[in-house]
Amino acid sequence: MKWFGFLSDKPWLPIPAGSAPELTGPAQVPAPKIALGALLGVISVFFLLIFVTFITRSQYEDFQALAGEPWQPFSDTWRLWINTAVLLAASVFMHRAVQKVRQNPSEAPLGWLAGGALAAVLFLILQVSVWQFLMRLGYGVSANPANSYFYMLTGLHGLHLIGGLVALGRVFLQLSSDRSRRDITTAIEGCALYWHYLFILWLVLFFILTRTPDTYAFIAAACGLG
Amino acid sequence: MTHIAIADQEPHLHHPKTFIGKYIWSQDHKVIAIQYASTAIFVGLVALLLSVLMRLQLGYPETFEFINPNVYLQYVTMHGMIMVIYLLTALLLGGFGNYLIPLMVGTRDMVFPYLNMLSYWFYLLSVIILMASFFVPGGPTGAGWTLYPPQAITEGTPGAGVGIIMMLASLAVFIVAFTMGGLNYVTTILQARTRGMTLMRMPLSIWGIFIATVLGLFAFPALLVSAIMMLFDTVVGTSFFMPAILSLGEPLQHEGGSPILFQHLFWFFGHPEVYIVALPAFGMVSDVLSVHARKNIFGYRMMVWAIVIIGGLSFVVWAHHMYVSGMNPYFGFFFATTTLIIAVPTAIKVYNWVLTLWRGDIHLTVPMLFAIGFIFTFTHGGLSGLFLGNVVVDLPLSDTFFVVAHFHMVMGVSPIMVLFAAIYHWFPLISGKQLHTGLGKLHFWGTFLGTYAIYLPMHYLGFLGVPRRYYALGEASFIPESAHALNEDITIAAIIVALFQIVFIINVIWTLRSGPKSERNPWGAASLEWQTPDVPPKHGNWGDELPVVHRWAYDYSVPGVEEDFIPQNVPDSEVPGHPEHPEFKPKDSREED
Repeated sequence: MKWFGFLSDKPWLPIPAGSAPELTGPAQVPAPKIALGALLGVISVFFLLIFVTFITRSQYEDFQALAGEPWQPFSDTWRLWINTAVLLAASVFMHRAVQKVRQNPSEAPLGWLAGGALAAVLFLILQVSVWQFLMRLGYGVSANPANSYFYMLTGLHGLHLIGGLVALGRVFLQLSSDRSRRDITTAIEGCALYWHYLFILWLVLFFILTRTPDTYAFIAAACGLG
Repeated sequence: MTHIAIADQEPHLHHPKTFIGKYIWSQDHKVIAIQYASTAIFVGLVALLLSVLMRLQLGYPETFEFINPNVYLQYVTMHGMIMVIYLLTALLLGGFGNYLIPLMVGTRDMVFPYLNMLSYWFYLLSVIILMASFFVPGGPTGAGWTLYPPQAITEGTPGAGVGIIMMLASLAVFIVAFTMGGLNYVTTILQARTRGMTLMRMPLSIWGIFIATVLGLFAFPALLVSAIMMLFDTVVGTSFFMPAILSLGEPLQHEGGSPILFQHLFWFFGHPEVYIVALPAFGMVSDVLSVHARKNIFGYRMMVWAIVIIGGLSFVVWAHHMYVSGMNPYFGFFFATTTLIIAVPTAIKVYNWVLTLWRGDIHLTVPMLFAIGFIFTFTHGGLSGLFLGNVVVDLPLSDTFFVVAHFHMVMGVSPIMVLFAAIYHWFPLISGKQLHTGLGKLHFWGTFLGTYAIYLPMHYLGFLGVPRRYYALGEASFIPESAHALNEDITIAAIIVALFQIVFIINVIWTLRSGPKSERNPWGAASLEWQTPDVPPKHGNWGDELPVVHRWAYDYSVPGVEEDFIPQNVPDSEVPGHPEHPEFKPKDSREED
């Protein structure tokens, strides 16, 4: 309703006394939050488009899903569950960091931030080990489109996590050199939000990449892509 | 939790002290804008040269030995890609977006100046990668700007080895650059406006740039996805887009991929891209028309709505580029319908521009000439779009010169007209000097009439069925001798138009070196960017205090007021002749005096 409200403004009319918009600035949300929200929107569109191509491609004859039959690598997904737990831990650490800094904004929760970063690094290492596991089984990148998507999607997710680590590293350096920064809460909240986002994105990836052909057929039919 | 609005905060400006800090690694939006614009214009001139070479081949086939079929296709591809992405997108958003947003919304800089600087350097890197592809073995890609697989990465297409990889890499870097810039533009517009600058008081230039940036942020990922997947196909040997295929009698390692999938992705980006280019142009031309007609823009609110609606619709028309790829007839019907619906808000805009001129005090300055020229070229390009939007008319015209004529008129010539209008209009603000009017008018008439000489005959060639992207027409019974003669004429016109651009370059160089100093606000514009304490604006834009906005940007020829425009930052009580002015005398009491 707010958008509709301002879109019906008539800026050419004289302003009635007492309602001068001169007194107000723009919305009161910190700029980094808006930018991060927009960035997450862009990343969501990016992955959504890949998912659409994935579902479309999954309906071609040569597509061999990575789960479904007992000999398929992800009929048993315990490796991925471990990775999920590690990334969840990273997200929880970041959440604790936010709680700490909200309680006491003058002190940077460096320990929790470092925990979030290290868990993220461990997740990346474990993801590479999953790649090695697939390679050993002969599931190379170009052997089948399902494999190609697995490597590409997990790789892109990993790259986004590495980008987050660079940003977190920058925040970490700033905080360890100057613990009295005023905007520390916003910076840590931003990093934590990004971590939570990447965790949820991983859950979606996990779900989509390890379904059986029947599920893909169902999703494709439901989306009109079958 | 309460937060202080950015506009009220103490400015955290980066104050460079060295020459390199000020002009090379600059974080000032104005310097970054000029860096963006200069780079874009430079690559634009390369693309212009390529188009002349293409025209030489088409007008005089078998004359130029150095133009063989391979390099011809490379010219076509690089011309298209450079013009759409590296010139128009970069100049309109990176150049004018950067320059105008902080000045027009009344802030000292973009909210993330460092990111803004990175955005330019990533853009420059993408341009360098693109230009470098001219010098790699096999040359740049010749797959056409649409880069359709399988041919883009299959042997036999020029640049199918290194060239296409460099093109895809360059696009990926460009998209990163755009995303950094785009997040900045959106956040600055939403968050850093000065007091009193409500969204509905923003000039239409900002509305156009804003919505175009949002489109870019959500459309470029589609290009990035297609670029990454095609890189996988060509480098790693996956089969996302590549079907089973025989090349030179040998089966390739790919199988089962879908080229149509690429087309959908590409055009899901490609169609919004048209509006990423068009919307800023719509906005800027609205402002130029209003200022030089000394009249408020007709239907401001409707103009804003039209920009928003066009932006939304632009995401649901993409498959009208793919009618010949084959699709379910109901899809064709759907996309034809959405395409025709988008003509409604667009037509509203055209009517409103014309109605802004209606009974205005029209000053035929150089920017105004270009702006009016735009109304003509855009209307013509838009009308031929109505033909092509219909499936049954599109099928026979697809891949003919009719399509070439259509999109050049609507998204080639038209945005360029606006860009020239904008450059002539804002040059005094940017440089403090005014471009020479005589040379400007010469440039306008040469360009305006010349482009008609180029593109009107192309519609006719298209009706004849002359195909686009062909190196030579050869002997074909359906192509009469007159078509060859017409091709020669078009080539001559193209060379003349290209030469007229030299007039513009001379004008810019001469004005910068020895042109007379301009007045502060030579056109009498009401919008905020002309109200800075210094012209050109200095670092930080606004001196000690940020401006406060009291009105919209279009108070021209207000009845009863002495001046014919009221700047946005002047309150009613300071407007001579306004009822709230302390020395105001009602009309009848003035008569008694």
